[in-house]
Amino acid sequence: MGVVRTVFTDPQPGRGEGADPVTTEIVRQGLNAAADHMKRSLIRTAFSPIIYEALDFAVAFYDADLCMLAQAPTLPAFMGTLGFCVREAVEGVGGRDALAPGDVILYNDPYGTGSHPQDAAMVVPVFHADELVAYAAIKAHWLDIGGKDPYCTDTLDVYQEGTIFPGVKLYDAGRLVTDVYRMILANSRMADMVIGDINAMVAGARAGAEALSAIVTRHGADVFRRCVARMYDHGEALVRSWFAALPDGVYTASSVIDSDGVSGVPVPFGVVVSVEGSRVEVDLTDCPDQVPGPINCPLPSTVAAARLAVAFLAGAGEQPNEGHFRALELVTREGSLFHPVRPAPCFMYGIPADHAIELIIRALGDAVPGVPAASGGDINALVWWGNREGSGAPWADGAPHPVGQGASPRGDGASALMYISESATRFTPAEVWEARNPWRIERLALAADSGGAGRFRGGLGLDLSFRCLEDQYLTAALARTELAPWGRSGGLPGRPNRLTVDYPDGTTGDYALKTRIPLSKDAVVHLRTGSGGGYGPPAGRDPEAVRADLREGYVSEEYARRHHPHAFPA
Amino acid sequence: MSTRIGVDVGGTFTDLVLHDSVTGEIKVGKQPTTPAAPELGVLAVVDAVADRETLRRCAYFVHGTTVGLNALLERRGATVGLITTEGFRDVLEIRRGDRDDPYDLFWTPPPPLVPRRLRLEVAGRVAADGTVVRPLDPDGVRRAADVFAAEGVDAVAIVLINAYANPGHENEVRDLLRAAGFAGEVSLSHEVSGEYREYERTTTTVVDAFVRHRMGPYLGNLDRALRERGFAGRLLVTRSGGGALELEEATARPFETILSGPVAGAAATARLVEVLGLPLAVAADVGGTSFDTALIQDARLPLLYQGEVQGLPLQSPWVDVRSVGAGGGSVAYVDAGGLLRVGPRSSGAVPGPASYRRGGTEPTVTDAALHLGMIVPGRISGGIDLSAELAGAALAPLAAPSGLPDADAVAEGVLRIAAAHMAQAVRGVTVEHGVDPRGAAVVAFGGAGPLFGCLLADELDAACVVVPPNAGNFSAVGLMQADIVRGAARTLVRPLGDAALAEAGTVADELFGRLGDPAGAVRELDLDLRYRGQEHTLTVRVHPGEDATAVRERFSAAYHRSYGHELADPLEVVTVRATSRVPLTGAGTLVPAPPGADGEAGRIRLWSFRRRAFADAPAVPRRALTAPLAGPLVIVEPTATTYVDEGFTVEESTGGCLLISRKES
Repeated sequence: MGVVRTVFTDPQPGRGEGADPVTTEIVRQGLNAAADHMKRSLIRTAFSPIIYEALDFAVAFYDADLCMLAQAPTLPAFMGTLGFCVREAVEGVGGRDALAPGDVILYNDPYGTGSHPQDAAMVVPVFHADELVAYAAIKAHWLDIGGKDPYCTDTLDVYQEGTIFPGVKLYDAGRLVTDVYRMILANSRMADMVIGDINAMVAGARAGAEALSAIVTRHGADVFRRCVARMYDHGEALVRSWFAALPDGVYTASSVIDSDGVSGVPVPFGVVVSVEGSRVEVDLTDCPDQVPGPINCPLPSTVAAARLAVAFLAGAGEQPNEGHFRALELVTREGSLFHPVRPAPCFMYGIPADHAIELIIRALGDAVPGVPAASGGDINALVWWGNREGSGAPWADGAPHPVGQGASPRGDGASALMYISESATRFTPAEVWEARNPWRIERLALAADSGGAGRFRGGLGLDLSFRCLEDQYLTAALARTELAPWGRSGGLPGRPNRLTVDYPDGTTGDYALKTRIPLSKDAVVHLRTGSGGGYGPPAGRDPEAVRADLREGYVSEEYARRHHPHAFPA
Repeated sequence: MSTRIGVDVGGTFTDLVLHDSVTGEIKVGKQPTTPAAPELGVLAVVDAVADRETLRRCAYFVHGTTVGLNALLERRGATVGLITTEGFRDVLEIRRGDRDDPYDLFWTPPPPLVPRRLRLEVAGRVAADGTVVRPLDPDGVRRAADVFAAEGVDAVAIVLINAYANPGHENEVRDLLRAAGFAGEVSLSHEVSGEYREYERTTTTVVDAFVRHRMGPYLGNLDRALRERGFAGRLLVTRSGGGALELEEATARPFETILSGPVAGAAATARLVEVLGLPLAVAADVGGTSFDTALIQDARLPLLYQGEVQGLPLQSPWVDVRSVGAGGGSVAYVDAGGLLRVGPRSSGAVPGPASYRRGGTEPTVTDAALHLGMIVPGRISGGIDLSAELAGAALAPLAAPSGLPDADAVAEGVLRIAAAHMAQAVRGVTVEHGVDPRGAAVVAFGGAGPLFGCLLADELDAACVVVPPNAGNFSAVGLMQADIVRGAARTLVRPLGDAALAEAGTVADELFGRLGDPAGAVRELDLDLRYRGQEHTLTVRVHPGEDATAVRERFSAAYHRSYGHELADPLEVVTVRATSRVPLTGAGTLVPAPPGADGEAGRIRLWSFRRRAFADAPAVPRRALTAPLAGPLVIVEPTATTYVDEGFTVEESTGGCLLISRKES
């Protein structure tokens, strides 16, 4: 299995010539707004907090050639990943010719979605005057679709991770395919919530399809296609203008993932980023063959990670379309960590993807001034479930948690923000948690002294304590519990992530990637999220900034004297 | 209608509308806003329009103010201390962990309104069901009082976890704080909001404490100054959630006024469409920097219960007016990829559009409209003498890089793109409510709104456009029609059933008790409901004596309207909302256009978007419109210009409105 180069080229060059620029801009805006409507409809009708709070979903439109028309801003990590899965979903049901108005295709094969089977996609073909013109697609995280546990950090192959729907019609010409529907429900521990989310996704995708169809009708299919082609060219020109500003060169960095969750051995990898004119190539071949544990990252998510890292630095901010992707080339090795093949397990694909994002940013730090130190690291997800005392009703909840951000020459890192790949995600209020789940939150606080010291201080991590009021289960999905967030330009590292449990019998546990931890009533779970690395030597910190930190309690006097003795003249 | 005055403080101008019940006269006034001391601008416009005798007759002075908002924008307010539950000192700074711009690696939140050293914890804990898990530690409050005294804190916010379910500890903290000698303002979270979500409730309570310091003295000074001028009526302040608050209430709950800026326009639209009998309307307010839109169904204001200002969430009712950066001052440019773009950046008051002759060189929407003849030179308010040459000179350089033939095409493109932005905002509002904008009437107002009516109608395929009298001052008209409104809410998460409704009724009685029972008050009870398992709620009106089946039916209908389907899942009550409304006696409906010159009739060179060419067209003074006229043409009046494209007909309609409809052909 060899090296694979992933490039997104224009399927029909020149088609955008002659398109009216004003209509093109109106079509572009319309598509972005329609994608946004699809997103809002899903958020407001979803049943799972992972969708409505964590925004763990993607919504996008693709044209008939599977080029991305628009995607609403949600999880940045899903940027542009739906193209692979729309292609596979359509092929799964027999290709374009097998599609009819009213169809809804269900697809959740990890090698096509780029993620775990919980991330299920719905694809709705959009017809205009009997002709297929586009697809509306939604991928969202279901609370449970089978698998050995609701959330797994120790799977050995993809078949343990959930029930796979390889592109099947959930609606056939508008009619619900009850056999498929019953299969879904029979395979979920949280069938009620999944039903609600299916309804929300179908309604959202259909609303999106209608909005898209209205745009095509308003302008006519021919004008629409020409304007879209010009819109792609515009997106490509925009991104190339960003890339052209990066200095040419080859930039590298390497790091180590703590563990694959199964074998317990560290997983080293490196990135090579080559900049040449307005073209950027990201090479992720310097990594082990696919590993036994579930941290293999399927190609679609590797592509997204590379795009994101470069976009963050190159000055993105536009809602992307296919054109934005054309200037970036990705090199991977089939059968490896960043391009696994069936049946490699990939439930925790986010760990290498997120790590790669920060590593690419670190490598480009040699080319771009002002690159920050490392953040506390992904993903700090805790997934909880159980049956309520008394009623026996099943419940589940889960979310990532905020970390400190790396300091940069612009200033101190921000404290307690979601990892950049899930930056739109919101953290659930303690009062909502307590009203919903058998917990009491005993502490939700910034961790003083946790930030990496430097001329600019790393952002603080979070200390969070949950007291269990009933028996329950927890899956811990913490990365970077060993690797401290690196400093930059002389700044010191921050603190890594850590999870400990105090059991009522006086024993304690310390976990990173651990599935189905049984927690008895009155167990207390302490999550200490990573902080940001510092930037520049601590001796260069403005003494007034040291005193302000001390006054507000962001650092202790001991920390201040140890790292910044210059602020304390004898 | 009794004599009343509405004064609205905008970013650039302070507008006044006066209706005199004796003479029947309508007067309007406009003075520059005085940001450092806004009461000066308010008094200046009052002095310019109303004499002592008129003020003495005036029953209501309804005021739309940005004092609370500006205190936040400028971060000039009280030094606030915060007392919260042990373990939760940093809620205000941890926020919800998200970023305003998800693609900005370097994003940092603005500094919290209360610095960490003034955020103090006290031991004591209430559970989500209201039971006390651990009693309050009085010593912690005393220690906090000492710190606040030493630090010069002049207002304290008290926010304890789960206080929405049991306010006992918050009340205890207040009593202990007073006993310890704290004499400043105190804001209690359960009084301010009563809803769960500790970050949002903390922010709201802190904002309340922060702006109260500014709002009370401001309103007191204004009231005094008006009384010195002979005013003997009631000073009312517009409320974010519609209606107006009495002076005392606005002083006590200033956070309820912070999002009131764009409400008056929506309120005026609601009142207008009620009179016109239009079931579905879209308010389209185009000002200098923004386009504000709201969906008005059955003459009701669309209400939401959590707003945001400066990235700070506010648990306060507010009228759902969406704003996008598309107004007369929005700047047009060609981006790095070669596409023509418009806004959201605005040329602002300085330098303003290129045609203002104030040194601006970037083309704006106003410049494009001027170039196309939609605005007649020399006829805009504020005494600005527009230069068509400068507008054309600013537009022309955009032609080559965007691939357009000439300045005419650029100007046309700028207007179409701006209209498309506005139409997207309208669609956002209508889609969310499950409404098809094609059936709606577009009510166009604000200085530039009537220019865009036809373009918007075409973009949205809307039925018709209504341009109200006083279109440029229409928001201030809305002020005069406000009811006196008070509201209170409490989170009460229960499965919907007759027992839950009974409990909600008890909570509502308490809330109404707190709102008082002023003469003539109408009580309104609403419940936020959701399918169990969902997060987002829909708010449903509940009438006395209704059972759970009736409430469920109303929810199902609302859900179906919004999302196109309904579910069999059980429902859950989330929040009880009580509103007390006193309609202002003799509140009028439509306000005829004020006297004054409309400008002259003439022939102009006017662009037709339908024809994609210039046409020789009439400029018609508004009062000279006696019979229906077919576009292209413009209607001119003192505060606005109405553009009517080819294919549309304009006629005078009920109450002095202009009605623009598609020509039957």
